Amino acid sequence: MDFFVHLAEGFIGMFQEGGKTFVGLVTGIIPTLICLITAVNAFIKFVGEERIERFAAKCTGNMVLRYTIFPILSMFFLTNPMAYTFGKFLPEHQKPAFYDSAVSFCHPITGLFPHANASELFVYMGIATGITQLGLSLGPLAIRYFLVAIVVILIRGIVTESITKMMMKRREAQVAA
Amino acid sequence: MSNYRAVLVTKATSGWGGPLTILPTDEKPYIASITGGGIHPVAARIAELTGGIAVDGFSNKVEPDEMACVIIDCGGTARCGVYPKLGVLTVDVMPASPSGPLINFIKETNFVSGVKESHIELLNEVASTAESTSATKKSAQELKAEARAKVASMQSNQPTRKPNFIEKIGRAMGGVVGTFYQAGRDTVDQVLRNILPFMAFVSTLIGIILFTGIGDILANVIKPLAGNLIGLLVISIVCALPFLSPLLGPGAVIAQVVGVLVGVEIGRGNIPPQLALPALFAINPQVGCDFVPVGLTLGEAKPETIEVGVPAVLLSRQITGPVAVILAYVASIGLYTE
Repeated sequence: MDFFVHLAEGFIGMFQEGGKTFVGLVTGIIPTLICLITAVNAFIKFVGEERIERFAAKCTGNMVLRYTIFPILSMFFLTNPMAYTFGKFLPEHQKPAFYDSAVSFCHPITGLFPHANASELFVYMGIATGITQLGLSLGPLAIRYFLVAIVVILIRGIVTESITKMMMKRREAQVAA
Repeated sequence: MSNYRAVLVTKATSGWGGPLTILPTDEKPYIASITGGGIHPVAARIAELTGGIAVDGFSNKVEPDEMACVIIDCGGTARCGVYPKLGVLTVDVMPASPSGPLINFIKETNFVSGVKESHIELLNEVASTAESTSATKKSAQELKAEARAKVASMQSNQPTRKPNFIEKIGRAMGGVVGTFYQAGRDTVDQVLRNILPFMAFVSTLIGIILFTGIGDILANVIKPLAGNLIGLLVISIVCALPFLSPLLGPGAVIAQVVGVLVGVEIGRGNIPPQLALPALFAINPQVGCDFVPVGLTLGEAKPETIEVGVPAVLLSRQITGPVAVILAYVASIGLYTE
């Protein structure tokens, strides 16, 4: 009999532990998240997509801006997955590189601006929860994640662009032969 | 025979619903503007293109069954639903999405929001009115002339006035408040539909890990991998394998679950906190690999580009995935160490 009592208590205890975590997440993260996302959403609506498009299109000529500012703007204002529509401003051989660069920013941005990809928050949040449990502040991690990601998306953009160009040339050669 | 023309009204990128085709008829000649007095430019534009008659529905009563469409500036509770319920095509100049007590009546077929003058296009076909109208005693022209005269008399009493200063401020305030309100609605929607369900899943997972002791077993697996640079590099190389990465991508679920596992171990002190940064990159070199064709299509890429683009991105990740981990490892020096 005791065995069953233990079993039952153990069973429910597992979910009580889960419930505690849930309450912690809901009261700890959601209120700030809601206010932050509301403010950013309103800001995006005020700025308007047309203005962003006009500005973003200016960043496409320069290789460094094309794989840093351009994908960051698209991710911030259009969010995942509509951000990838900005590929339309680029010539064909740069589109895969832009996609690669933009999509690689859709998690790093969530540390500072969770609105951009709210449904995939836990890539960052999952690891960040551990930092919170240790009583450490999340700020340094979020900022470094953001900054390192800028360098990473630049590298990805450049590497993917050159691979794309190479493959396109090879394909043209095959067609010609 | 009638001179009415049909227009197509599309939504703004931030708006909802539509596109609506608006075609006034002799029975429904009015383009009602119920925007707090005056005729809204959108209403004026629709009237100009269709040949309908713009009326200030705020100051003059117009029967709903005589309206070809109605222009409102509702942020999303009352008017939004009333006119769709009455069967009137509704054009909202604010980017509202369906809400309020009458939400069930708001459909893409009777409602379009966020509309500006630039969203109104003339449809080429010249509309022919139903045969029944020609059977009525008055000709269409006469009816229309009568309606115009009626409106002219209504408007001559109160000449078309420019919105005054107070009205302008009122509208601007209304715009700001409406935008914030809509932003809040979008946010809560997102939290309810996306964030809370995942929190429930993650909490249950963490509860099971912490309570059952599975955590200790997992720690033995995760620690040697996520607890040092070599292990993290191995994870990133494996996750970026071109035949594996598209399978690991969908919904970032794998990355999220692994993230939670690593997070739990960091919280329990099994993995040093500064490794959180390289770990974030190590668990995620496959980001978006499942989505390349869709993402490229969104960017209006040609089919040939997509054919080349998919392997290009997958190949590139094999190189840049581990590079990102090394970069992050270097950048984590000094993080969370006194």
